[in-house]
Amino acid sequence: MAAVHEDDYDYLYKVVLVGDATVGKTHLLSRYIKGSLPKNPTATIGVEFATRTVPLAVGGTVKAQIWDTAGQERYRAITSAHYRRAVGALLVYDITREGTFKSCTKWMEELRQSAEPDIVIMLVGNKVDLVEKDPSLRQVYFDAAHEFAKLHGLIFEEASAVTSHNVKYIFEHLLQEIYDQTSKRREQQSIDNSNMVGGIQVAAIGPKNDSCDNSC
Amino acid sequence: MQSASSTGTQRSAKAQKFHRLLSLPTVDLAALRELLWSGAPEEDPKVRAQSWQMLLGYLPPVQDRQPSGLQKKREEYEELRRRHYLPVEAEAPSGDVDGAILRQIRLDIPRTSPGLPIFGHQRIQQLLERILFIWSLRHPASGYVQGINDLATPFVVVLLASELDCLPEEINVDAASDDTLDAVEAGAYWCLTKFLSDIQDHYTSGQPGIQQMVAKLREIVHRIDQKLYDHLEEQGLDFLQLSFRWMNCLLLREFPFPCVIRLWDTYIAEPLEGFSSFHVYVCAVFLIYWSPQLKQMDYQQLMLFMQKLPTGKWRNQEIETLLAEAFVLKSLFHSSPNHLNPR
Ligand SMILES: Nc1nc2c(ncn2[C@@H]2O[C@H](COP(=O)(O)OP(=O)(O)O)[C@@H](O)[C@H]2O)c(=O)[nH]1
Ligand SMILES: [Mg+2]
Repeated sequence: MAAVHEDDYDYLYKVVLVGDATVGKTHLLSRYIKGSLPKNPTATIGVEFATRTVPLAVGGTVKAQIWDTAGQERYRAITSAHYRRAVGALLVYDITREGTFKSCTKWMEELRQSAEPDIVIMLVGNKVDLVEKDPSLRQVYFDAAHEFAKLHGLIFEEASAVTSHNVKYIFEHLLQEIYDQTSKRREQQSIDNSNMVGGIQVAAIGPKNDSCDNSC
Repeated sequence: MQSASSTGTQRSAKAQKFHRLLSLPTVDLAALRELLWSGAPEEDPKVRAQSWQMLLGYLPPVQDRQPSGLQKKREEYEELRRRHYLPVEAEAPSGDVDGAILRQIRLDIPRTSPGLPIFGHQRIQQLLERILFIWSLRHPASGYVQGINDLATPFVVVLLASELDCLPEEINVDAASDDTLDAVEAGAYWCLTKFLSDIQDHYTSGQPGIQQMVAKLREIVHRIDQKLYDHLEEQGLDFLQLSFRWMNCLLLREFPFPCVIRLWDTYIAEPLEGFSSFHVYVCAVFLIYWSPQLKQMDYQQLMLFMQKLPTGKWRNQEIETLLAEAFVLKSLFHSSPNHLNPR
């Protein structure tokens, strides 16, 4: 999984962003990669690509290749080809639109079918800023999503591309989780060398309120 | 308002040719096609709109029939609007299929050509919403597919500029009467409908039209730039990844808006069988244009470069070179399909 290709990073993870149209996938990605929202936002057509290299606390780096996909049903034939060899996914819904949460089951099945069988999935409830302003807008309760995540073995967090709340966390926690799981597997297969220490953390992760001061 | 078509003291030679043709009692469509293929005069927005509408079957080529012909089409559109749009709009979009389409369209309208101020205008957004919604209901095999919103924008701009007799970048939506906007809406609807009829299978299940175009593009590149082809293969870059958006949005997202309009002059002027086969040659030339750079790039550089090509400063001249080369390429392929085959 973690292939060493070049000198400037140690692990390469392919990650896909999926979820219904307009839940905020492209905004989350832009916020994470550029530190700002898209200047001229348009609906994503097909797939779009971005990368970011994240340092590990113990040294070394993980490079994430992130594929943003179009959410509309019609594009599924095209986009699902991109799930192949993905080791991680951010499955995004909009906490103010219940339908987008209901679709998550379908998205999950598709990921498990087309991506790597042990793909790590981060469930993300986006647009939490809207609910902070007006609680009556919330259609998906935190606990319901949390329950769903637990049931299906997903990691879960709520976020907002607009305020940056948890944006860095959702991406980097996912990368860390992929790293942890793959190194665990490597240990089990005892292919890896013996001085590998467990519990390696991706640097600079706080679970809440990252101010997204990315300088890229 | 200052009349754009009369600001110049003299018409350009190009504009004169169009005017001569368009003022005949019966316009020779073949001659008009030929003329429009090389681009409408930029300074004369009415000429472009007339040519587009005529070649797309909206404006009758017989002058005497134009008023009644337009009247009939506008009434037909009014009727579609009453039948399809009003009922759904009245009850806030609910859970049914039509409601879901309208909801998706509404989500995409604010994300349509955000670089062009007129699409931020509420009246234009509503006009676009109706066009897209009615088109989708009338074409259930595809329904609304994201990207079709983009494809409607050139028609709205070209027709509105003509109605207001100003250059596209000078459009002032507030200056347009309701009747003007209704005329633009009906015209844009019928033009879009005709234009998309050539590529309807781009948007049906599995998007077979796009798959075929991508396969054709791959074949052309393989034949005429084997080094580039091999490099892309080596890097594991899939032609579908690379050109999907080009096919889905007809290069609209790849060029500055004025260039798109110029490109579409030619597409609309393509012979009766439609522009879709020519489009693939345009894409091939466009891809090969970047060949020297592309051949130096690895997978990741390729992906990032291809999704944001440095065309921001492109003008009509670059588009015209592209079109001319695509024309030559197409002729070569069609006259002897295997001539260039290296195998
Ligand atoms: N309030 C709020 N709006 C958001 C947020 N993220 C995205 N949006 C809006 O949701 C719409 C769709 O966003 P986009 O990223 O294009 O969605 P995608 O189709 O999933 O890629 C846009 O109008 C955004 O402004 C968020 O965190 N909060
Ligand atoms: Mg998107």
